[in-house]
Amino acid sequence: MKKFLSLILAFAMILSVAAIAHADDLPVITIMFHGSNVSDDSAVLEKVNEYIADKVGAKLEVIWGTWGDFDEKAVNALVSSDSDVDMVFTCSWSADEYNSYAKQGYFVKLDDMIAEYGDALKAAIPESLMQAATIEGADGMGIYAINGFKDTATQNTWDINVTLLNELGYTLDDVKNLGFFGWDEIFAKAKEVKGDSFYPFLVEPMVAERMVTNSVIIAGDSGSVNLLSLYLNPEDVSKDGAYGNVLLNKFATPEYKAFAEQMRKYYQAGYIDPALSVAETSNDARTNHQKEASYLIGTQSYAYGYEYSADVLSRGVEVTFLPCTDPYVDTTASQGAMVAINSASEHPVESFKFLALLNSDPYLMTLLNYGVEGIHYTLDENGLVVFDDAARATYSPWTNGMGNVTILPDTAAEGKGFRAAFQAYYAGAKGIPSLGFVFDNSAVSNEMAALANVAAQYALPLDCGAVDPETELPKFLDALNAAGMETYLAAANDQLSAYLAK
Amino acid sequence: MTTLSPTHRKLRIGSHSLNRFSPGTQAVFHVLLALFSLICIIPFVFVIIISFSSEESIRQIGYSFRPLSWSLDAFAYTFRLGDALWRSYFNSFLITLTGTALSVALTVLYAYPLFRRDYQYRGFFNFLSFFTMIFGGGLVPTFVICKSVLGMSDNYAALIVPMLFSPFNVIIMRTFLRTTVPMELIEAATIDGSGEYSTLIRIVLPVMKPGIATVALLVALGYWNEWFLSLLYLNKNMEIMPLQYLLMRMQRNADFLARNSSMIGADASRAAAQLPSQSLKMALVVFIVVPIACAYPFFQRYVIAGLTVGSVKG
Amino acid sequence: MTTVQQRAIHSRRRRQSRAAIKRSFWLTTMVLPGAVWLLLIRYLPMFGITIAFKNYRAFRPNTFWNNIVRSEFVGLKNFEFLKSPDTLVMVRNTLGYNLLWILLGLVISVAFAIMMSELTSKFMAKTYQTMMFFPYFLSWVVASYFVLAFLDPTSGMIPSMQKAAGQTVTSFYHETRWWPLILTLCNLWKNLGYSSVLYLAAITGIDTTQYEAAAVDGASKWQQIRHVTLPNLRPMIVILLIMNIGKIFNADFGLFYNVPQNSGSLYPVTQVVDTYVYRAYANTHNLGMSAAAGFLQSAVGLICIVAANAVVRKIDPDSSLF
Repeated sequence: MKKFLSLILAFAMILSVAAIAHADDLPVITIMFHGSNVSDDSAVLEKVNEYIADKVGAKLEVIWGTWGDFDEKAVNALVSSDSDVDMVFTCSWSADEYNSYAKQGYFVKLDDMIAEYGDALKAAIPESLMQAATIEGADGMGIYAINGFKDTATQNTWDINVTLLNELGYTLDDVKNLGFFGWDEIFAKAKEVKGDSFYPFLVEPMVAERMVTNSVIIAGDSGSVNLLSLYLNPEDVSKDGAYGNVLLNKFATPEYKAFAEQMRKYYQAGYIDPALSVAETSNDARTNHQKEASYLIGTQSYAYGYEYSADVLSRGVEVTFLPCTDPYVDTTASQGAMVAINSASEHPVESFKFLALLNSDPYLMTLLNYGVEGIHYTLDENGLVVFDDAARATYSPWTNGMGNVTILPDTAAEGKGFRAAFQAYYAGAKGIPSLGFVFDNSAVSNEMAALANVAAQYALPLDCGAVDPETELPKFLDALNAAGMETYLAAANDQLSAYLAK
Repeated sequence: MTTLSPTHRKLRIGSHSLNRFSPGTQAVFHVLLALFSLICIIPFVFVIIISFSSEESIRQIGYSFRPLSWSLDAFAYTFRLGDALWRSYFNSFLITLTGTALSVALTVLYAYPLFRRDYQYRGFFNFLSFFTMIFGGGLVPTFVICKSVLGMSDNYAALIVPMLFSPFNVIIMRTFLRTTVPMELIEAATIDGSGEYSTLIRIVLPVMKPGIATVALLVALGYWNEWFLSLLYLNKNMEIMPLQYLLMRMQRNADFLARNSSMIGADASRAAAQLPSQSLKMALVVFIVVPIACAYPFFQRYVIAGLTVGSVKG
Repeated sequence: MTTVQQRAIHSRRRRQSRAAIKRSFWLTTMVLPGAVWLLLIRYLPMFGITIAFKNYRAFRPNTFWNNIVRSEFVGLKNFEFLKSPDTLVMVRNTLGYNLLWILLGLVISVAFAIMMSELTSKFMAKTYQTMMFFPYFLSWVVASYFVLAFLDPTSGMIPSMQKAAGQTVTSFYHETRWWPLILTLCNLWKNLGYSSVLYLAAITGIDTTQYEAAAVDGASKWQQIRHVTLPNLRPMIVILLIMNIGKIFNADFGLFYNVPQNSGSLYPVTQVVDTYVYRAYANTHNLGMSAAAGFLQSAVGLICIVAANAVVRKIDPDSSLF
C-alpha cells in the first residue's frame, strides 16, 4: 500500500512540476474543429501564434477532428469536462448538438463577453445569425456559440445530367413541366438508350422525400431518420404551407403516401439502383454514379457555387441544378456551423477574444483556412488564391466549419467576386415562419429512441421504393404508434405553438 | 523433475497403430479442415484482389473477384503516404511489442498465485479481477481517470496502459496452469527450498510455453487491431498514431458522410469526392494483415510443437 | 503431553505459519502490479455506474466530479427505453443467436482442435491453424464487402447467377429469412480459429504419458479422445462456456450492423441490444440511457455467470470459475 501511495505522490509531483513549467508562458487555448484533413499544421500555427500573441494574449493549439471521429471526440471532451479543450465546433446536426448541449450546461453563455469584447464581431456577423444562436440555455436566454457566416439557407435541387438529357431529346423545360410524378417516359427512354444496367434516377431517398412533399427538417427531431414534417409553402417560403404551422407525422400524410407509391413505380421499373435502398451501401453507390455521370436526374442539397466545384466539374458532363423552391432559412441551416466555448475551459475570455478575432479578421481567417501565403497558396495577377496542391494535401481544413467564410479572399477556381455573390445570394434568402424553433426532445427521449429504431427499419426502403407501400406503410404506421408517436408529436406541437405564441 | 513420477517414462509403441488414426480417418480430417481453412483465407484473397482492382472497375461492377481491369494505383498511393505510413507502421510495432511483453508478464504474475491453492488471498484477488470482466465504469469515467488522474493523453502510455491487463486472459492463463502444471511439481520445488519467484521462473514457465504463447498471441492481436484508444487519447500528437487507426479514420470518414450527407448538404458531396478510394483501403488492410500473419508461426511454434513431445518431458 | 513435546509442536507450527506468511507475501507481490492496474483503471471509474441512475448534465464549476455529485437522481427512468415494442425482438435475437453460437462454437472448435492435434503431418496442422486465424484480422467492415460481393442485387455473384439462369433475383438485403443462416456462418467463420487455438494449446499441455498408458491398456484412438483428451479439456471448455454465458446479453456490434449493411428491412432478425442502443444513442445522445443499457447487460451477465458457476460447482468443483 505504501508503495502505491508513494507512486501516486511521485506522480502528483510530476504533474505539479509540469504545471509550474508552463506558468510563465502565455496560456494555451485549444480549439476542436470538424471535418478537416490536416496532417501538418506547424507552419500555420507558428504564424497564427505570432499574430494573436498580443491581440488575444494566448497561444492557439488545434485538435483537427475529422468527419469520422469528431462526434466521438467532441462528446467525450465535453461530457468528461475536459478543461484541455477550450473551444469546440457545434451545430444543429453534430453529436454535440448546439441546443441540447447548451441546455445541459456544457457551453459558456457569451452575452457579457460580446458586450465587452465583441464590437468587431457584431460588425462582421449579421444580426439574424446572432438571433439564430440565441436560445434558452443552462444560464438563461442568450448566445452560447458564435454562429458561422456561411451558406445559411437550405435549398434542395434536382441534379440534372444535361448532356444526357439532350442526347435523349429532352430539355430542362420538359423535366420541369413533367415534374416528379411524370418522369416515366424520360426514364424509360434513358433505359432504352443506355441499356438495362443503367439507373437514371439517382436519389438520396430522404432528400427526395423532402423535395417532393416540400417538408423541412425540424431541429431537435431524430437526426438519422426524421420523424416530423413541417410543410413549406413552395411558392413563397416565408408564408405558411398547406397545413399551417403544424408538425405532422412525416409518414402519415397523403403527400408521403403519394411519394412512396410513385417511388415504388420507379423502383419496379428499374429506374433506381437497389443499392440506394440499403443504408450502408447508399452513399457509396450515389458517389460512384455521380463520378461516372451514370445518372439522368439526381437530388442535391445545394450550396451557392456548387456547379463550379471540382467534384461536379470532374464528372465530364454538363450539370444543372434545378431548384424546387427558393432558398429558405430554417433553424437547421441557421445553426449549421458554430463554435462554442466549453464551460470547463480555464480560459474562456482568451477563447472568446480569439473567436471574435477569427470571425472578423480576414488575415487570421485566411491564414487558418487557406494556410500560409507562399507555402500553401500564392496569389495570381488578379489577386486570386491559387493553391499549391502538395502543401494543400497536408493542410485542408473544412472551410464552412471555421466561422465567417465571407471574409475569405476569392480563389482562382471560384473566380473573382465569388464571395460577394455568395453573400448576396444568402442575404436574399427568406426565413420560414417557424424559423428559430428547436424541439427539446429531452422529455420524450425514450419515445424518440424507440421511434428512431422503427423509422430506421422502414423509412429508407419505402423512400426508395424497394418495398411495397401498400403493405409496408400501414405496418410502419402501426409500429410508430406502438412506439409512442402520438406522445412525441403532441410534445413537439405543444412546444411549437408555445414558441410561435411568443 | 524426477520427483514427479517414478513410473514416468517415454514409451515407444512399436507400430503406432493404437496411437494414430487410420489414414482414412485422417483424410476426412484433412478435407474438413482444408475446406474451412479455405473459407477463412478466401476473403483475404478477395481483399488483395480489390486492392489491385482499378477504381473504374469498382465503380462499375462493385467488389468482384474478377475486376474489369487491374491497377497498382492503390499501392502507389500508399507509398506516397510516405512518412505517415511508415511512422504509423513503426508505432504499431512498438505498441504491440511493448504492450504484449508487459501484458504477458502482468498476466502470468497475476494468474500464477490464483492457481496456487495454498495462496491465502486467492479468493479475494480472483474476485477482484473477475468482477471487472462484468462491471465497468463506462467509457467516459474511464477516460476521465486515465486522462486527468493518470496523465494519459497524446503519449504511448495512453495507447498501451488501458489494455495492459485483461481478466479474461488471467482466467485463460490460470486454466492453462491448472491443466498443465501438476501441484506436486510445485510442492516438490518448495520442499527443495526454491523461492516463489524462482519456482515460477525455473519450473513453471518452461512447462507453460503453449499457454504463454497463446495468451501472448491474443494480447498481440488485441494491440495490433486496436484503434479506439487512439481516437480517444490522441488529439494533437498524431505522430504516434498506429496503422490501424490510419485505416479506421478513412473508414469512419466514409461512414460518417454516408449517414449525414442529407444534413451536411453540398459539403458532404465535396468531402465524399475527396475520400480515398476503396482499393486504397484494401491496400492498407493488406499492410495490416501481412506482418502479423508473418509473426503468427512464431507463436505457433510453441502451440503446436508441444504436440509432438508432450509438455512434461522425462 | 510433555512440555517439550508441546514446545516442539508450537515451534513447528510457528515455523510453518512463518513459511506460509512468507509464501503469501511473495505471492502477493506477484499479484500486486495487476491489482494496482485493476484498482486504477477499472475500479476507480466505477463511480460512473451511478450515471445510469442520474440525469447527467454539467454544473458550475464544470468538473466531472461536481457534475456527478450534483446531477439529479432519477431512479429507473433511464431504463425506460426497455418499454419499446422492439424490446421483445432484440432480447429474443440477442439471447437466441448467443445460445446457438455458444453451442455450435463449442462443438466445432473442440472438434477442430482435436482433429488438428491428431494429424500426422504437423506441417499441415500448422498451415490449417494459420489460415483459420485470418478472419480474426479482418474487421467486420471488410467482411461485409465480402458478403456484399456475393449478395449485391446488381453485381453480386448469387444474383448474377440467378439472372443468368433466368430465375427471379433474390433481394437479399430486404429478405429476412436468409440472415439467421448468413449471420451464423459469419460468426463461425470469424471465431472458430480463435477458440480452437485455445483448445489446441490446452491439448498440447496434456501429459503424453496419459495417452501412452491408455494405449498400453489397449484403448483405441477414439477411446483415448473420450477418456484422455476430453476430460483434460474439460476445465478449458467449462471456463470458456461460463465466460460466454456471462456475455449472453452482449452482441458483436459489427456483425449485426455492418454485415447486413445496416439494412432496415432486416431489423426483425438483426436487431440486438447493442445495435438498438447504438441507434437510440445516435439520435438522443442520452448518456444516462447508454449507461443504463451497459449496466443492464452487466447485471444479466453477472446473474448468468453466477448461476452457471453454481451448476458447475455442483458437478465438478475443480472446473468452476470461483
